Amino acid sequence: MLAAVVIRLVRRKPLGAFGALVFVVFLACGIFAGALAPHGMNEINPLYRMKPPSLTFPLGTDNLGRDMLSRILYGARLSVIIGFCAAGLATALSVVLGLTTGYLGGRFDLVMQRFVDAWMTFPDLVILIAVVSVVGPGMLQLIVTLGLLYGIAGSRIIRGAVVAVREDLYVHAAQSLGARTFRILWLHILPNVLPPIIVLFTTRVGIVILAEAGLSFLGLGVPPPAPTWGGMLAGSGRAYMYQGPWLALAPGLCLTIVVYAINMFGDALRDVLDPRMRGAG
Amino acid sequence: MQIYIVRRLLALIPTLFFASLIVFVTVRLIPGSVIDLMLSQNDIAVGKDRAQLEAALGLDRPMLVQYVRWVGGAFRGDLGRSLWHNTPVTAQLLERLPVTFELGVLALAIALAVALPIGMYSATRQDTAGDYVTRSFSILMLAIPSFWLGTLVMVFPSMWWGWSPELKYVALRQAPLRNLAQMIVPAIILGTSLSAVTMRLTRTMMLEVLRQDYIRTAWAKGLSERPVVTRHALRNALIPVITLIGLQAPLLIGGAVIMEQIFVVPGMGLLLLEAVGQRDYPVITGVFLVLGMCVMLVNLLVDLSYGTLDPRVRYQPS
Amino acid sequence: MTRIPRIHGTLGVALALCLCLGSTTSAQAPAKPQYGGTLEIGSVYVTLSALSWDPQDWNWKLNHDTGMYFEQLFAADLDKSVRKGGKHKFYADAWLPSDAIRGELAERWEWKDNPLSLVVHLRRGVMFPDKPGVMKARELTADDVVFSYERLDKSPKKIATYFDHVAKVEARDKYTVVFTFKQYNAEWDYRFGWGYYSAITPKELGSVDAKDWKNAVGTGPFQLTDFIQGNSQTYAKNAKYWDTEKIGGTAYKIPFVDTLVYRTIKDEATQHTALRTGKLDILESIRWTAVDNLKKSAPALKWSKWLSMSGTFLAMRVDQKPFSDIRVRRALNMAVNKQEIVSAYYGGNAELFAYPMHPDYYGYYEPLEKMPASVRELFAYDPANAKKLLAEAGYPGGFSFKVQVCSCSPDHMDLLPLVAGYLEKVGVKLDIQPMEYAAFLSAMTTKTNAPGYFMNNGHTNPTTSIRKSFVTGQQWNPSQWADPAFDRKMAEVYLTRDEAKRQQMIRELTVEILDKAPYVWLPTPYIFTAWWPWVQNYNGELRAGAVRPGPIYARLWIDQDMKKKMGF
Repeated sequence: MLAAVVIRLVRRKPLGAFGALVFVVFLACGIFAGALAPHGMNEINPLYRMKPPSLTFPLGTDNLGRDMLSRILYGARLSVIIGFCAAGLATALSVVLGLTTGYLGGRFDLVMQRFVDAWMTFPDLVILIAVVSVVGPGMLQLIVTLGLLYGIAGSRIIRGAVVAVREDLYVHAAQSLGARTFRILWLHILPNVLPPIIVLFTTRVGIVILAEAGLSFLGLGVPPPAPTWGGMLAGSGRAYMYQGPWLALAPGLCLTIVVYAINMFGDALRDVLDPRMRGAG
Repeated sequence: MQIYIVRRLLALIPTLFFASLIVFVTVRLIPGSVIDLMLSQNDIAVGKDRAQLEAALGLDRPMLVQYVRWVGGAFRGDLGRSLWHNTPVTAQLLERLPVTFELGVLALAIALAVALPIGMYSATRQDTAGDYVTRSFSILMLAIPSFWLGTLVMVFPSMWWGWSPELKYVALRQAPLRNLAQMIVPAIILGTSLSAVTMRLTRTMMLEVLRQDYIRTAWAKGLSERPVVTRHALRNALIPVITLIGLQAPLLIGGAVIMEQIFVVPGMGLLLLEAVGQRDYPVITGVFLVLGMCVMLVNLLVDLSYGTLDPRVRYQPS
Repeated sequence: MTRIPRIHGTLGVALALCLCLGSTTSAQAPAKPQYGGTLEIGSVYVTLSALSWDPQDWNWKLNHDTGMYFEQLFAADLDKSVRKGGKHKFYADAWLPSDAIRGELAERWEWKDNPLSLVVHLRRGVMFPDKPGVMKARELTADDVVFSYERLDKSPKKIATYFDHVAKVEARDKYTVVFTFKQYNAEWDYRFGWGYYSAITPKELGSVDAKDWKNAVGTGPFQLTDFIQGNSQTYAKNAKYWDTEKIGGTAYKIPFVDTLVYRTIKDEATQHTALRTGKLDILESIRWTAVDNLKKSAPALKWSKWLSMSGTFLAMRVDQKPFSDIRVRRALNMAVNKQEIVSAYYGGNAELFAYPMHPDYYGYYEPLEKMPASVRELFAYDPANAKKLLAEAGYPGGFSFKVQVCSCSPDHMDLLPLVAGYLEKVGVKLDIQPMEYAAFLSAMTTKTNAPGYFMNNGHTNPTTSIRKSFVTGQQWNPSQWADPAFDRKMAEVYLTRDEAKRQQMIRELTVEILDKAPYVWLPTPYIFTAWWPWVQNYNGELRAGAVRPGPIYARLWIDQDMKKKMGF
């Protein structure tokens, strides 16, 4: 089935396929950063500070003499970790909430919806600012916060999909056969709402990466010396943008390209998977 | 219809106070108290000062008492005083809210002005080069971190042409042109990144609607493209789009912090950022309360607008 | 062909003569000041709006925002500035050299003994302007001074011991105020005179809401007319202001400009843009990283540079191992390559030694070259010696310790890893713990900070700089330095009336604390101020009191013709 989706994607949505390719490269860089990076993540060497791109330092060095290429690669790893973990947590939370409220309905659904309503009243950034100020800066705190934040908001989408599916014939059949709720959810509902879940996950990765960048600008992101792309762009990228434009160009371009690719990929995926789900021609 | 509105408005109140209680308590549990911050400003502080300051700020009472006092004040429109500036929170909010609101409305207008035409165009020219280009541009605007775009727009024109946006704030009714000269640039940046999501949804919904039977009937009747698209398709496609606008409301009202910081717009976002950093509890609680109220009101308006757009939806007294 | 050179020649000579005359006349006498115009200023605190307008709030930033309309008994004598041939630059944030203080609202004053008291004679004819809803125009009297003092004294937010040295303050007659002291305090004029909490407000302020900026009124050169929090503060000229400024031998009534605007801009890039495009006339605090670019993109700007009035250091808790051993502390100092930090990290725009004494503190400061060898040793890079000391102290393999740093300071977040890199070379590993500002500060005020605490701290003034960080139990004492002998010496400084003697005592205390090294002393960066050439009668002076630039701005004038000619 996976092969069929991939083939359809490449044939009908070339741009989306390109996005997927970039996404995979990004993932690979992230996982194998340790092997790929020519220098360390935080190798400070004041003698080599602010060197423009050259053969020894393909992307130049920053204000503390650290190799930008290595920092970018390790930054990819951080972005992969933060992006995937937070998006994963968010999606898992959305699925659990969406499945239970969508399927069970009734008073439970009503109460949860009011809670989600209240939660969605507050803007993302505002909650992030408040929470990160409370728990302090750090990668784990950031992942948990972003995960919770987007998880609750995304539950609406999953719930919508579940509601559409729960009246289907095979679900009624399973219910009349006396199958337990959990079994129904796991075996019947979940597989049929998989497409929106996949799409949700991919788009969340992009959103999380951008959110971390925004927080870095406000001083609330993962603190240095962690080489997150957002942190590099917002920090030394902006401070030294006159003396060393490469300090900002590298992380900026990476951020833009990866988020762009993820979005195109997610779009294409949705286009490819959705009609199939609806059963329309 | 009226009964529905009244019921919805009444339902707001318990939700708001429930939310405010949570914010009230959580904010005070934050490590790093405002007393420490204040005492740190002065060189010669001793233990006596701490107790004295707490009493002066009303922070020595138990939390429940503080909350009750705050609620009592809120009913009278008095949200307390800022712990730092000692100005009434209500006054601060009233000053900042119109600014944020203006920025939000401008950004939304720009977002719609960009998204709707592109969305419609993309839908009617699906999978053509034009579709790809316009969609790509829209997503590109979304992918570039807003603070970076803002910095570029602020710095480079000033270096090349000696131009920068207006940075001194003046109220809209006092000098509308100068005010817009300040707001327009951040509004454009906000709006274009917002347009990406809206455009995508417009395109999707238009695509779906265009496949419907009643559209096919319209084609068969021999109608030209424009009335089909605008009169029949657009109206129905707009419903989820309006929902999306409702969902974006929180973002516009409170999430423009980054633009506010770069373009020196004195809005609610910066107020909150500063207040959280300084642990200014009354201001934080006040901002959350007002934000919540605004968003809920926007959602109500969105729900009501369904009535005008979709004749199938009409609100009956139950 | 041949005719032209001759005419050319005559014209040329004539032109040259005119130019010569023109340039000599402009070099001889300062230009006659013009009145009018608006001064847009990005001050040292450009990122902060006014925190409070009421002196009763005991807010440190008050003088910065109200110092244009609330005057004080004393202020800086700006005639002693370098620009006018004197030797003072007036950069210090809360200190005035004793030979550069003049009476502002005080005309003259004298000390009396038995009981120890200060008799202050106020200037006559100083007027409060009309302020509808608050007061009618009238003359300043001694009652206003007494009222201002008592209002501060009775405030629930007062710093507990601040006025403990004062027995009472009373008005002897309409223009005479008498301060009676319990004992002498060397900081008497800083505490109430020209310091942070010395604003003279009208009596009428007691019967209106003093926290409302709309009720602000004072004797000063400007009056507050508009406040947009987070964006700008506008002050309008007080046409009936009492003071004058001598330029080129003539006394002119001040202020010269019609309007003064404080701009609040949080973002650094935006600040530079505003300066570059002429939207700011003065930007007082520019980091060295932006200087080259600004000089290139706005070559007409004039510049001054000043050493930060704040010291950077890594504090070590001396109440625990391993830092209870002075050898360990000294070793860490020697292990850090401070010269390289100056040259590589700050691009040369820093000084090795400026804390706890600042070079601007004449009489109190001694340069590194004059310090004893044991102090100079701490500023020389010597990792071999560091390792030896560590081994002697029982840590031949080094050790590791936790360091807290504020994530709010991007500068520190970059500098600390650099320091960590040096320390690692002698086997000392740092476990860096970034904290958010309020939590970071709390750790220090509750005395629960980690063994390592990376921060910077303002000098304030020569005596406070030492007292607030190295006297037992003080707030800004993250190293938990507790030496009763040191405390006694410090207390004696406050009781000493002779300034020369005080200066010597402070110099000795400075050498002692440097030597004992409770901190890893780090270099201090230069900060730059830039202004457009149409701002005249100004040379980058920053304060004329404790964070109080009002008198400086009152003496500036704008050459509006030049401004127009330059295209702004």
